[in-house]
Amino acid sequence: MAPILDIQHVSKFFGGLAANSDVSFSMQEGMIMGLIGPNGAGKTTLFNCITGYYPPSRGDILFEGRRINGLQPDRVCMLGMARTWQKVRPLAKMTVLDNVMVGALARTSSLRVAREAAAEQLRVVRLEHKAAFLAGGLPIGERKKLEVARVLATRPKLLLLDEVMGGLNPAESEEIIQLILEIKKRGLTQMVIEHDMKAIMRISDRIVVLNSGEKLAEGAPQEIVTNPEVVTAYLGESLA
Amino acid sequence: MRALHAPRGLALLPLLAFLAVLLALALVPAFASSPYALHVMILLFLSIIMGEAWNVLGGYTGQYSVGHAAFFGLGAYVTMMLMQFKQVPPWWGVWAAVAVAVGVGVFIGAITFRLRGPYFVLASIAVAEIIRLVALNWKDATNGAEGILSTEIPPLSIGGRLITDFGSKVPFYYAGLALVAMTIAANWLVQHSKLGYYFQAIREDQDAAHSLGIHLALYKNIALAISAFFTAWAGSYYALYVGFIDPSTVLSIDISVQIVLICIIGGIGTILGPVVGALVLVPLSEALRSNVIYEGLQQAGIVSEGSRIGSFLKENLAHAHVLIYGILVVIVILYMPDGVLGFAKKMAARRAARRAAAAGGSR
Repeated sequence: MAPILDIQHVSKFFGGLAANSDVSFSMQEGMIMGLIGPNGAGKTTLFNCITGYYPPSRGDILFEGRRINGLQPDRVCMLGMARTWQKVRPLAKMTVLDNVMVGALARTSSLRVAREAAAEQLRVVRLEHKAAFLAGGLPIGERKKLEVARVLATRPKLLLLDEVMGGLNPAESEEIIQLILEIKKRGLTQMVIEHDMKAIMRISDRIVVLNSGEKLAEGAPQEIVTNPEVVTAYLGESLA
Repeated sequence: MRALHAPRGLALLPLLAFLAVLLALALVPAFASSPYALHVMILLFLSIIMGEAWNVLGGYTGQYSVGHAAFFGLGAYVTMMLMQFKQVPPWWGVWAAVAVAVGVGVFIGAITFRLRGPYFVLASIAVAEIIRLVALNWKDATNGAEGILSTEIPPLSIGGRLITDFGSKVPFYYAGLALVAMTIAANWLVQHSKLGYYFQAIREDQDAAHSLGIHLALYKNIALAISAFFTAWAGSYYALYVGFIDPSTVLSIDISVQIVLICIIGGIGTILGPVVGALVLVPLSEALRSNVIYEGLQQAGIVSEGSRIGSFLKENLAHAHVLIYGILVVIVILYMPDGVLGFAKKMAARRAARRAAAAGGSR
């Protein structure tokens, strides 16, 4: 089966600094790909390249067989690829429902249809009781859920989640894990950046490890935890 | 959300209130025949139109233009130039003026909307200044600093029947009222459509909006076009009403700042905000100009005309109206960051909360 996302030799330079250098991997439909690596490994840069915030300096990004590098983020979203932000970006002075409606309006011009779609996504992330609240007033756990509901409302085929569990307590993280697994059941493909190793091992079908901008390893979760290079990258030379 | 739960009839309430106010205002000339009263009302209408127009771009979309004098001036100039030099009646000329302003707006937008925050503000000021300098120096077309004086507005007749000869303030009053109604209606339509949601998303967070499928440049330009359209209308209306324009009155940065102030004072990003702002600023500036403060002090017996302080104040308070106006604006901005309307809402909410707490306590 042709991959839904194919990343071919992608490099991104900022001046002389290679934030990503010759990264290649591909994703099959319906899978969850974990993207891990130490701080500064280039995970978010790769997200930004994939979703159109930066054009990659070199290499190609193919979504459903179509070359998408250089496309603007709004075009990428319309093609069916949506991302959340590591630092959440609620539309603070709009209500929670209105936030999700903005996402839903990517697929309709009718406010009524968008409102129904938004209400449905709020039920999926269990935030419907906060629909009328201003998004700026939500605690962090609910802001993260709002981010997910909002991108789901754009009806993506591929979802890129950038540290949706960052800053959450264990109970909230568990809710997000269940949510990600539920989204998978609906047939959506997901790429997940996460620092919580236990969580990423549980949810991922495959994992890509980045280190200093380069792909260090790729494989099933079990292969990754036993990979000596990965252990070195995370814990340092002497412990490996 | 409100619409999701509110019964349908409730949504009609604001519309009925709006129509009732319009009807009441339509009856005003029949009772108040004082030209000064009509003059103040016309200034009020003008301010409301300008404020509501800016609101679409600045209020909903969050692009703070301090260069709206460009569109105001273009509206005024194109209408007057066509009327005086080409004998085009203003009710046709105004459409040309609006088209020019929208065209210039979209052209400027294509360039300046790459800029964000303060850089966009600076660019908008620069563009307005460029247009002012063009009007000042392109003497063949604009008369330069001399300005354009309208000799006479041709009478408006439809199908041979005379509608008005623009001989009094009354036709201007009705034209202004109609423009106010249309501008507010346009704001309402924007707010209750996909456009309004997208504009607000751009205001709240451009990167987030971009990632949700919103074409930033396209929607910012739509907001600018709507805003320029109504601002040019206001400029055209002003020019015909006053009958004289020059670069320093219709294209100066004072106009741009005045427009922004109407919205900031009233409350940004709401339909009623600019109305409230105009209701505060227009009477205030008229009162200060006509030296109401001195008369009040004199009548209260605090100062007398004969005394040195009295004559000093009488001389100078009228001149100081800009200063006093400025101080009041600073006070409002400091203590009511969401404008007078936002402040009133907050007060109402606080009182409701207190009442609820009191009710809870007595249980």
